[in-house]
Amino acid sequence: MMHNLKVAICIFSYFLCFQYVKAQNSVTTIKISAISGMQFDLVRFSVKPNEQIKIVLNNMDDMSHNFLITKPGKRLDIVNAALKLEERGPRLNYIPASPDVLWSVSVIPANQSTSLSFTSPSVPGAYPYVCTIPGHGFIMYGVMYVSTDGILPNIVTDLNIPPSRRVEKLLSINSNSSMDHEKITLQAQHPYESVSPYLYRIFMEDAGPAAIAVSLPNDLSYCWDAGTCRFRYAWSGGFVDNTQIWKGHANVNAKIVGAIFYRDNTLYPILVGKPEQVPLIEFRGYSLVNSYPEFHYTVNDIDVFELIIPRDDGKGLIRKFRIPEAKDDVWFTCNTESASVEYEVSAGTWVNGKLKLSADEAKSFSVNMLNYSLVYNNRKKK
Amino acid sequence: MTIHLKLTQVFFACFLLFSSNSPANTDPINKAYSVQTIQTPPGLISETGGLAFLPDGRLVACFIRGEIMIYTPKTNQWKLFATGLHEPLGIQVISNSEFLVMQRPELTRIKDTDGDGLADVYEKVTDDFGISGNYHEFNYGPVKDSKGNQFIALNTASQGGSVKPEIRGALNNLGRDMTPGIYEMYSVVPFRGWVMKLVPGTRKLQPYASGFRSPNGLGFDLEGNLFVTDNQSDWVETSTLYHVREGKFYGHPASLVWNKDWKGGKPVLSPLDELDKMRTKAAVLFPQGIMANSPSQPLCDVTEGKFGPFAGQLFVGEMNRARIIRVMLEKVDGELQGACIPFIDGHGLRRGNNRLAFAPDGSLWVGQIAFGWGGDQGIQRIVFNGDLPNDIHTMKLTKNGFDLTFTQAIEKATALNPENYKFRHYYYKYQRKPKNQGADTSVQQDIQEVSVTGIKISADRKKVSLKMAALKAGYVYELKLGNITNTKAEPLTNKLICYTLNKLVP
Repeated sequence: MMHNLKVAICIFSYFLCFQYVKAQNSVTTIKISAISGMQFDLVRFSVKPNEQIKIVLNNMDDMSHNFLITKPGKRLDIVNAALKLEERGPRLNYIPASPDVLWSVSVIPANQSTSLSFTSPSVPGAYPYVCTIPGHGFIMYGVMYVSTDGILPNIVTDLNIPPSRRVEKLLSINSNSSMDHEKITLQAQHPYESVSPYLYRIFMEDAGPAAIAVSLPNDLSYCWDAGTCRFRYAWSGGFVDNTQIWKGHANVNAKIVGAIFYRDNTLYPILVGKPEQVPLIEFRGYSLVNSYPEFHYTVNDIDVFELIIPRDDGKGLIRKFRIPEAKDDVWFTCNTESASVEYEVSAGTWVNGKLKLSADEAKSFSVNMLNYSLVYNNRKKK
Repeated sequence: MTIHLKLTQVFFACFLLFSSNSPANTDPINKAYSVQTIQTPPGLISETGGLAFLPDGRLVACFIRGEIMIYTPKTNQWKLFATGLHEPLGIQVISNSEFLVMQRPELTRIKDTDGDGLADVYEKVTDDFGISGNYHEFNYGPVKDSKGNQFIALNTASQGGSVKPEIRGALNNLGRDMTPGIYEMYSVVPFRGWVMKLVPGTRKLQPYASGFRSPNGLGFDLEGNLFVTDNQSDWVETSTLYHVREGKFYGHPASLVWNKDWKGGKPVLSPLDELDKMRTKAAVLFPQGIMANSPSQPLCDVTEGKFGPFAGQLFVGEMNRARIIRVMLEKVDGELQGACIPFIDGHGLRRGNNRLAFAPDGSLWVGQIAFGWGGDQGIQRIVFNGDLPNDIHTMKLTKNGFDLTFTQAIEKATALNPENYKFRHYYYKYQRKPKNQGADTSVQQDIQEVSVTGIKISADRKKVSLKMAALKAGYVYELKLGNITNTKAEPLTNKLICYTLNKLVP
């Protein structure tokens, strides 16, 4: 109950602020934009019967769109009738001649706007609005509710709006509520339960486009860049939220859940032979070792394997390297200047902030990173 | 699950609507083919990026959220094979436990080496192409030729999105022009808008052909010709099927910045006639809004009759409507050209038809996707029931008209009635998109009806020879058939067919 009330208030205030402007001369103006991903930004609103309405339509998408309001329950009929127009479609603005079309607006080119004025129906009901350009009408629609009380049905179960919009507005308005967070995790993401360690190859912030996000036990995660073959950053408190990226048709990164506690700014963490030389790096893939990815890349054609695990106490990460065919000295570099990390290495000698390993030592070594922010900053922990 | 249910409801609503619009007709296509829906496991968002069959008869599919799953048709069981991939859009089978997968950052070989049924090795095969981070830089393929060479296609970037601060590959801003109001895809990292070739045993891609916009589908025919579809919009006035050959340019200029002989400057600002002279025309045009708006994978009917009478022809998925298209090609004056016709239209098929694969039993499996566009999700299967469909088998250009060959003998009186052949011709301009024109606006030029001046029917009543008042190269000939029936008075399954006439019979 509390939850529903909160939702209702949020939705109400949302319309009040952004979409619903009642002017002095009693014409109700409603702003609707066509946005990318074949959708309307506003997927439902409510008006009273016999009200003077002005809908301002703004096409912010890169495609053309039209706008039709149909009789209740007639959206799919009209969408299919528009499909059947075939080559006559463009000339008719994809608007089929039908008594079920109440009002319509011709095709609006990209980045242009227009408006539509009418008197709302006297009969209460759910009046669909839709773009009927072929392919659009099945997903690009919304609903005008005509009612005297102005109460909208529960958005989660509202079959008059696209399925993808039946939750999200509520989440984005009210994303701080713990109840909503539960909602996110309840939604099935995959046909299996994700158990750490596991990974996504996905677009991440502050990384190249061939990024890999890895979830580790102990509530730790890291980003490894398969373009530059290097560990980029690590965070604690959650993994990634891919909701936006999985909708498709948009430039977005996976959203990091939690707080970044370490960033590595080393361009070439492993150097073979002469450390001053810019090495030739190539990503070769990864294997799963007890479900942990062990990355494989080459530095000047020498195979390097890197496996990252959490410290047992969860206060940092351990980077384990294997360079089985090393013939020269190997140099490992990391953020030694960072005061918040204490490095403990299994082999090698520190020389001017770089770890120098003999070919033999480089065959297998590890770098244990104790991160003070995880030790002392308990506020970010659960 | 709830999303699934709702989609099913929507889909049922569509299906009922389609049926109610043609109530009196017997449904000839349902006699020959039926569409079955494959149940996908709970929790799977079955936006399908790839489908293929294993030597042991199981199906492998990859999905947009990164899963690879294997389906056993005998038991209807799904089993997880791999996870975590970046928008995989193509899969090729190497063995029962090893696959090649085209994902956003690379072509990857994925193997189960310990026999537990789960992948444990993800080996990069090639990542020798740029990624700007633009959402539209999808990668398609791989398809393999008879010599083992692999071919992939790289989508251009969309003006609807930008590039990431960190990219992979060299940046070349000549690959885009940001004139306000002109909607245009771009190529600012290597080989966007190209079909690339990978020789076995190498990791370096060879540029193969350029000029593609959104080439969401590659396939070979029985003779080993490579075909690639492209999606209508800027520079691609209507969607296409290209016969792709090495070194050729297919029309979208952005990719030309990566041509080693490119003289400099922004390709999209090059004189139109120069670009037009360079380009190779599509073997088949899919008229926008009529035949297809977003064609996907072309798949050759290799079933030798198991899937019906269309062996050797191509099937092409369509995203925007519940349709699979059939393509028939012929060589005219040395070049392949031909016709497209709906194959399955409605009849329980969903929209979003993205990937096709033939099962060992000869049924055609279809994977659906939307990913923010107008589509759907799921996997369906089209089964040939053994009854001969009543359809056009081939449309061929003759010296003065077209020959239509039907799958069945047709009724003579209907076949000889000129009223039953409504021809129009039109063409599509090769042009830069006009300012402020919507991305999916497509204009037919010089639309004219063309009359049939003579009709002859063969002795076996399977072939009709049509004499046309005139034939012009460079036009689409769209034919709408009237009430032509077979000898049992059953109507044709599909009455719309479009022939792309690039070349006249010499």
